[in-house]
Amino acid sequence: MPSDAHAADLRRRKPIRQQLKPYLFLLPILTFAVGFVYYPFFKTFLYAFSQVNFKGEIVGFAGTDNFSYLFSRRDFKIALENTLRLMLINVPATVALTLGMALLVWKRRHLSAVNETLFSVPIAVSMASAGLVFKVLLNPTVGYFNYALGLNIGWYTDKNTAMYGILMLTVWMGLGFNFLLFLSALRSIPSGILEAATLDGAGPLSRFFRVQLPLIVPTLFYVACTNMVQAMMTSGPVIILTQGTSSLRATTTLIYMMYSSGYSSANYGLAACVSLVTFFLTLTFTVLGFWLEGKRGSYQ
Amino acid sequence: MNAGVKKRTVNAVMSLLALAAGLLVIFPLVYGVMGAFKSEAEFSAYPPTLLPRSFSYTKNFEAVWAMVPVLRFFLNSLIVAVLGTTVRLSFAVLAAYAFVFFEFKGKKALFIFILATMMLPADTMIVTNYQTVARLGLLDNYLGMAIVSFVGASQMFMLRQHFLSSPRSLRDAAQMDGCGDIRFLVSILLPVSRPLLVMLYVQGFVALWNTYLWPLLVTNHNDMRTIQVGITMLTTVEGTNYHQVLAGVAISLVPAFLLFLLLRKSITRGMVSDAEG
Amino acid sequence: MMKKLLCLAMALLLAVCMTGCVSAEETVKIIFWHSMSEEAGVLIEGYIRDFNATVGRDKGIEVELVYQGQYAESVNKMNNMLSGKSYDTLPDVMQLDATGKVNYYASGVAYTADDAAAEDAAFLADDLLPAALGNWNFAGVQLGWPFATSTTLLYYNKTLLDSVGAAAPRTFRDIIALAAALPKTTADGRELTPYAAVPNTPTLANWLGQMGSYVVNFRNGSEASATELDCIENGALEAFLTAWKELYRAGALKNVSGSTDSFVTGQLALMTGSSSNVTAVLNRVDGAFELGVGYYPKVDDDASFGATVSGSCLVMFDHGSAERRAAARELVRYLTGAAVQADFAVGTGYIPSNQAAVEEEVYQQLIARYPQYGVALEQLAVTPADMRSVTVGPAADFYYTIQNCISDMLDDDMSPQETAGIMADELGGLLYQYAQANP
Repeated sequence: MPSDAHAADLRRRKPIRQQLKPYLFLLPILTFAVGFVYYPFFKTFLYAFSQVNFKGEIVGFAGTDNFSYLFSRRDFKIALENTLRLMLINVPATVALTLGMALLVWKRRHLSAVNETLFSVPIAVSMASAGLVFKVLLNPTVGYFNYALGLNIGWYTDKNTAMYGILMLTVWMGLGFNFLLFLSALRSIPSGILEAATLDGAGPLSRFFRVQLPLIVPTLFYVACTNMVQAMMTSGPVIILTQGTSSLRATTTLIYMMYSSGYSSANYGLAACVSLVTFFLTLTFTVLGFWLEGKRGSYQ
Repeated sequence: MNAGVKKRTVNAVMSLLALAAGLLVIFPLVYGVMGAFKSEAEFSAYPPTLLPRSFSYTKNFEAVWAMVPVLRFFLNSLIVAVLGTTVRLSFAVLAAYAFVFFEFKGKKALFIFILATMMLPADTMIVTNYQTVARLGLLDNYLGMAIVSFVGASQMFMLRQHFLSSPRSLRDAAQMDGCGDIRFLVSILLPVSRPLLVMLYVQGFVALWNTYLWPLLVTNHNDMRTIQVGITMLTTVEGTNYHQVLAGVAISLVPAFLLFLLLRKSITRGMVSDAEG
Repeated sequence: MMKKLLCLAMALLLAVCMTGCVSAEETVKIIFWHSMSEEAGVLIEGYIRDFNATVGRDKGIEVELVYQGQYAESVNKMNNMLSGKSYDTLPDVMQLDATGKVNYYASGVAYTADDAAAEDAAFLADDLLPAALGNWNFAGVQLGWPFATSTTLLYYNKTLLDSVGAAAPRTFRDIIALAAALPKTTADGRELTPYAAVPNTPTLANWLGQMGSYVVNFRNGSEASATELDCIENGALEAFLTAWKELYRAGALKNVSGSTDSFVTGQLALMTGSSSNVTAVLNRVDGAFELGVGYYPKVDDDASFGATVSGSCLVMFDHGSAERRAAARELVRYLTGAAVQADFAVGTGYIPSNQAAVEEEVYQQLIARYPQYGVALEQLAVTPADMRSVTVGPAADFYYTIQNCISDMLDDDMSPQETAGIMADELGGLLYQYAQANP
């Protein structure tokens, strides 16, 4: 590449100070990457294979004992299933809803500004606030939701529905930002392309599938990926909505299990194992995602 | 039916549909705010209501106001989110700049080293990070709350992609004019990258604003709690003081909405700017 | 944009740092973590204000009160700090429930009530309720003094029970009989449930305790760190599970926790809960029906009435300063004194932890006016002396494992024998793991 040659040319003429420059630019991010990502990861790894007491001190080598104990626990299997279920429902639901919302308003019409604002409101609401509102709204006895729709669902108190209650919150939380991403992607499609398709006699449906969808795939991929990771890391809604109730197990996620087996039951070795499992799963999904994205790219 | 009428009908239907959907989206919030005006007994009455008996019932607000410093919580959240997002984005910009505009030894290895942190989510390492932050004496401290979010590998990656696509002649021309790296970065490169920066900033801000577990762990004083943690602390074991909880939520929503309305234009304009141009 | 935001961040940071800087004073400052919310929270704030204005001002003590969330969150906090060795961030005085006993005891920075009594001969627990005091004794060491003392009671909708001519149930069999007599729906057509609960650590300790059994060894872990279950070989757990399943199959029991909402809205005839909620429940019922409060029901007629003491105590941490230790003792003494305890009991429904408080006029007047408040103390008097609440290291996992196993028995129709076996395995596993890592 000519620019490389150019840069190499520049480097030869530059003093040491100039040569150090790139490292100075990288120093901040590297420092924190080592201190707050690699070091704790290494320590988590160490914990997972050690006997750790309630003060977080390593008291002995545990081999794979922590892992075999973890895998033998029923609540771990349930937490794993719950987390995967949450992720597998959350991602498509978020994508479908926010894309749908963006499609409703991307073309400027009357009320456009109002509707855009309404759709992006969830950005302004913290998870705790929304969670507490949902907790009351979906309460089977004092909440309005069941009464208004004539339902008799226990939501957070019934273990068969508690996960859907959590999902309602996590999906709602993601509406605002992802809607804006799709809106931005749809609006950045040059209007000429769409007009040409219309002149070719394409209806709204075929315009969407033939013109708009292919052009917003990068955004789609981004939304899906970030939501996947977020869903895998879910813990706050569980603490706020179902901790302390008999439906906790039906909504326990891996990160919540890490938190509770670590801090509430002082088993840091076990907590570290849960961390590693979560980490490897997330890694696998991310790699899979990138692979799919790469494959699509090569077909085009 | 001519095309114009049809188009107008479609537009009207779509607008109303969107309005209905939008109202559905904000319904939980409306319900929450209404609930803040209800008394304890109103919450036990059947059937449950949407509207309170009276909007002049402000006892809940008074009780919450006396119990917890909601505005302080809000300010704490704001500081942590701004601090964390700003530092993270600045670090990412610097790193992305180095990877695009400099040649140096170990460039590839360092790039992968940083990018790989994307695969190590902070949430999986809170136990060990807590120990580090405690040792650094950063408990109950804004820096301690934000410090675990300073590494933004995905932000760095996206900025690098973006910088790569910016015309190289831009920098060469700048250098000819004797413009240093920092000046070029700040006064030329960043302004042309505004939509991406706004998007990354909003995303980071929202994510940090919503963190719950980490601020819960590292704050031990009422004065330092974030809105997430502080509001949640209004709930009780039996979890039945809905009237007060919702009053807390309602108070917390006010500054959030003011901020939202204030920044809404620049967020949407920033993120959606490509289309306007 | 970036620049502006950076400036904003810096300005905010600076502003807060400056307001945070307080000049040092002569007074001894101590930190007190509490876990009381609603009425009880308002009361405790008042006590600390009073303390600072009276005893505190005389002796140069200033207490900073910090609400650290519910007991579970507060104990998590303590565990965090122990794991991060950030001992200086621990409070001087902390309101601790049973789930934090083991880790507090072993923390290495505990300043137990025994330590305090050794340092200060005037730190005497003479006035305190013996049953409540005994609950905070672990491995022969008095960890702290009882502050919020409660027990578990039966709450019933007296109006509803009267309408079918039923008295408050005493045994599981009575609950089944009551369920048969009750209508299936409320007057306005909503579903009516006789009773709802999912047993957890304290409720299991009550029901097994009534049958003369402990849940775990070393007298429910009160004498030493528990290592195994103590209710398998004597058949107590299986007997309880059999009775519990019978209750469920007769349609008298709904397998969910958190029943206060249903109870106050008239959709639940009975609930069992902490005596500390009498005021809150009365407020929420708001005269919609007459509230009845009775003894905690028994598994069968052979068992004895009673329930363990629950609630929390005040424990202290040593920060290496004699002044702070003295200040902490002063606060603990104040909060467990007769005046505060009587007022607290009247305001909430907690049992006075101080025997002299029972004699206080405000308390006697309250019991005369609302007999519901007196039941807890009466029940405590008939409770067998050797009943103990459960103390285990992995408290949270233990609690939820009990809930889940018993819940599964009902949902998946497993036999009580099989369930007892699974519980022995899983709960035993938790105790074993903890003992391995914390010898």
